[in-house]
Amino acid sequence: MNLHRIKAIIYKEWREILRDRLFLSLAFFVPVSMMLVFGYGIKMDVENIPFAVLDQDRSAMSRDYLHLFMDSRYFDYQGDVQNERELEPLLADSKIRFAIIVPPRFQENLLSGRPAPVQSLIDGTFPFRTATSKGYVIAINNAFNGKLLAGFISKKMGLSPEQAASLVQPVKLELRYLYNQELKSIWSIAPAMMMFILMMTPPFLTALGVVREKENGSIYNIYSSTVTRAEFLIGKLLPYLGISAVNVVILWFMAAQVFGAPFKGDPLFFFLASVVYDSCTTGIGLLVSLFANTQVAAMMITVVVTIIPSVLYSGLLVPIASMDAASQFEAHLFPAMYYTDIAIGSFLKGIGMEQLWGRAGALLLYTLVLWLVSYLLFHKRVRA
Amino acid sequence: MGQTALVGDTQPVLVTPEPVVTVRDICKRYRKQIAVEGVDLTIQPGEIYGLIGPDGAGKSSLMKAIAGVLTFDRGQLEVFGERIDSEAAAERVKGRIGFMPQGLGLNLYAELSVEENIDFFAALREVPPELLAERKHKLLTMTRLENFLDRPMKQLSGGMKQKLGLICTLIHEPKLVILDEPTTGVDPVSRRDFWAILADLLRERGITALVSTAYMDEAARFHRLSLIYAGRVLAEGEPDQIRQQAPGSLIEIKVEPQIEALRRLKVKFPQTEAVGAVIRVFVAVASTEQATEQVKAVLDGLAIDDIHGIETELEDAFVALLRQRHLADEQAAANPQIPVTTAAPTPIGGEIAIEAAGLSREFGDFRAVDNVSFKVMSGEIFGLLGANGAGKTTVIKMLTGILPPSGGSGQVAGANMHSASQAIKERIGYVSQAFSLYQDMTVLENIRLYARIYAVPRKQINQRTEWVIEMAGLAGVENRLAGKLSMGIRQRLALGCALVHRPQVLFLDEPTSGVDPIGRRRFWDILMQMARVEKVAILVTTHNMGEAEHCDHLALMHAGQIITDATPEQMKLSLQRDAGELLEIVTDQPLMALQIVEQAGFEGAALFGQRIHLLAKDPEQAGRQIAALLAQKQITLLGIHPRIPSIEDVFVYRIMAREQEARSR
Repeated sequence: MNLHRIKAIIYKEWREILRDRLFLSLAFFVPVSMMLVFGYGIKMDVENIPFAVLDQDRSAMSRDYLHLFMDSRYFDYQGDVQNERELEPLLADSKIRFAIIVPPRFQENLLSGRPAPVQSLIDGTFPFRTATSKGYVIAINNAFNGKLLAGFISKKMGLSPEQAASLVQPVKLELRYLYNQELKSIWSIAPAMMMFILMMTPPFLTALGVVREKENGSIYNIYSSTVTRAEFLIGKLLPYLGISAVNVVILWFMAAQVFGAPFKGDPLFFFLASVVYDSCTTGIGLLVSLFANTQVAAMMITVVVTIIPSVLYSGLLVPIASMDAASQFEAHLFPAMYYTDIAIGSFLKGIGMEQLWGRAGALLLYTLVLWLVSYLLFHKRVRA
Repeated sequence: MGQTALVGDTQPVLVTPEPVVTVRDICKRYRKQIAVEGVDLTIQPGEIYGLIGPDGAGKSSLMKAIAGVLTFDRGQLEVFGERIDSEAAAERVKGRIGFMPQGLGLNLYAELSVEENIDFFAALREVPPELLAERKHKLLTMTRLENFLDRPMKQLSGGMKQKLGLICTLIHEPKLVILDEPTTGVDPVSRRDFWAILADLLRERGITALVSTAYMDEAARFHRLSLIYAGRVLAEGEPDQIRQQAPGSLIEIKVEPQIEALRRLKVKFPQTEAVGAVIRVFVAVASTEQATEQVKAVLDGLAIDDIHGIETELEDAFVALLRQRHLADEQAAANPQIPVTTAAPTPIGGEIAIEAAGLSREFGDFRAVDNVSFKVMSGEIFGLLGANGAGKTTVIKMLTGILPPSGGSGQVAGANMHSASQAIKERIGYVSQAFSLYQDMTVLENIRLYARIYAVPRKQINQRTEWVIEMAGLAGVENRLAGKLSMGIRQRLALGCALVHRPQVLFLDEPTSGVDPIGRRRFWDILMQMARVEKVAILVTTHNMGEAEHCDHLALMHAGQIITDATPEQMKLSLQRDAGELLEIVTDQPLMALQIVEQAGFEGAALFGQRIHLLAKDPEQAGRQIAALLAQKQITLLGIHPRIPSIEDVFVYRIMAREQEARSR
């Protein structure tokens, strides 16, 4: 191992990156813009569902009932319609996602002890949102029923409304959300986005950087010289690793400051774990670059091998725990999952080394294997 | 001569030294594609060894194997006495080797400056700082790059990139340099410079060089060489020895009507080609008199203007050797027949087919084409000659209406370039650098597609398709995919597609680069036919100086400008008038002799292998002077005789003169 030669390669690589405007902007601009686009773009929260009302009863009780919806932060009241036919175009145009129809004699039926049917129409095109909306509708409807029952009991038994209410709901559920008290999805998404972006950009840069040399033939300078394989790989990869380490800090800052995700963990541990994760994904890029001969091919392969595991098997969309056994097994094969746990743990749960060392260790092992395999596959006397 | 070291300044070394490279029966294949098949060669210390062959002949694979950067499947390779059979063995000799891969400046780092590039290579090779400073200074002075230290490599001209590449390859003073096509696409002045620098270094440091080229006319630069074709060595030895392997005479004839003479000669002598207004026939008879008689007999009844024998060239030997080994069979199967025409061919002239008047084109600050004017008559083959980046392609793009000019005007086939670019496109055929064929379609489908694109009337499509197949010699390959054809046939298909709508004007942009000599000759046969019989005006660009001799009229382009514009013969004559005769000197110690001649102040002295070329106004007196000078230093003068200058000599002289003029202003 000759430090002078490594330094020469690092210096040359760094010069090239700095002077190639396109490459430089790719290195820093792309991660930041991905963070902004996805951070503002992916909203898992179902709130402000636009809805319209057809009140055919126009009684005090029907207004009470509908006001429960209008006052909820989950629903966004768009107005009243006069008949059912008006609802259809609104739903079809996605002006509203939900409509509620209170039939005539709603109050009369309720007061005389008969059931009063209420029809709700929910847009089913986004199953996830639909299921959530349905949950809200049922919860509000239950609350109204509970209120009616409590009112009835308090009148019948002469109890105060509070006593009546507790009688109606003998088991009272106390809810407290841990780690993300306000259930803001961005708090969870921002750390997960760090996982996603750091999975994509370092391999991209590395693969392009190496394949570029293969494509134009300057790799032959390395092949034909006395530089060893290890010297070349270290010198070539360190600049890209450096860029990725800077990106860790930038993305971290954005997650915490721009998107307001609280960081409760150990900064040093998180930074070191992130750098290990970068080395690991840089290794993926290196491995890709050994198989690809053109920059276009390198890009395509990188996209395929990084996006799929980081989207499907990382816990970004679906929690690992709710996957079937086979998918869970696959998730454990990819590095993305371990880093998602580290990022979410460090940000929201405030845990560090004691709980997460196993995951950091898995990433380190992953890194060593990738680099070792690349080292063994890289030859200075090639077959073609 | 090649068996003795050329390093010694005084006495030739008598003991046969250890060879630097020994190649025995090496084979290399990429999947099913055979690149090198059973090559043997030996390179002695101190010599410049050449590998000459067309693209895809296996030169690069062989060089990479010797440089230790490519594995091979069979055979033995020894470099510096070390058996190269593993990566570890290859590593052991890499410190003594410098390797420059193919592609002008491609192995350099575009974003780095000249000095940074050199420093990087030096650091890779662990050159100590004191030595680096000294060598850098020397090499930069020699290559005249010392004023461009801070310029980014991407802003260098082709010739400068190539010189920088050479410096970077030599910075660690290797004992063996391997240079893969270092002169392809470089302007002739830089090419000469390059050979001079290489010869100098050889003289000083005793460096051995292995150099490949696709230009046959560079053969004279090598001490010894191998002719490579389809992965095999056709012939090995000194340039003269190789020429003698296919003995024969080259007869040059001026005869009217040329096309009829060509047709007759082709039947008897397959190696017949039209070179501008003359015909050259290679006759496999050593005696020039006998050969001349044979040719005369064939031409009985035609008006022979002039007939004389000239020196055979390596390319003639190459083609003859290919024929002897029946390697030309595949090409011959698709031999284009020159159809018999009843119409008497009329001489060149008549109407102007292409006219450029003061054409200019700027890209930002860069002036790619600067005030270019010329005329091409119908039935004339006009050559636009220049290095890569001289502006040739830009001129063609403007004339064909693809690119609007920044200034000037042009007429093509009677239509104005500015106002009627659509009309121009209908009247011309255009073969671009990367032949625009559809690789996944068959030959027939390609021709029919082009016929429809050019709106050939439906009823004529079949007839035109048949005509193209016959004319371009594509019979037998009609149903093959275009992508699977050999380079030479693909190029004829591209030409056929461009001619399917009977254009009056044909543009060809570097049509023959990378094609082997036989393929190139076939191609020129067709062009000759189109020009002389169909009266098509042909504008062809090339950076191959040898090929330029085929043109009726030439324009030399350099840095966007036309330097001179005349017929090839006129160009040579005016060179002889302005600069004197070209003398060739043969001595037993060429490197020493070159130094002496240079010091005596002779113009354009350059080393061509073992011979020295120079220009002299008074050849007799110069001869006497040189003989005296050499005698003083005890160098034996083996011969001194005048030579006909080549187009390259003309180009070099004109560019040098222009640069001198610019400097003195």
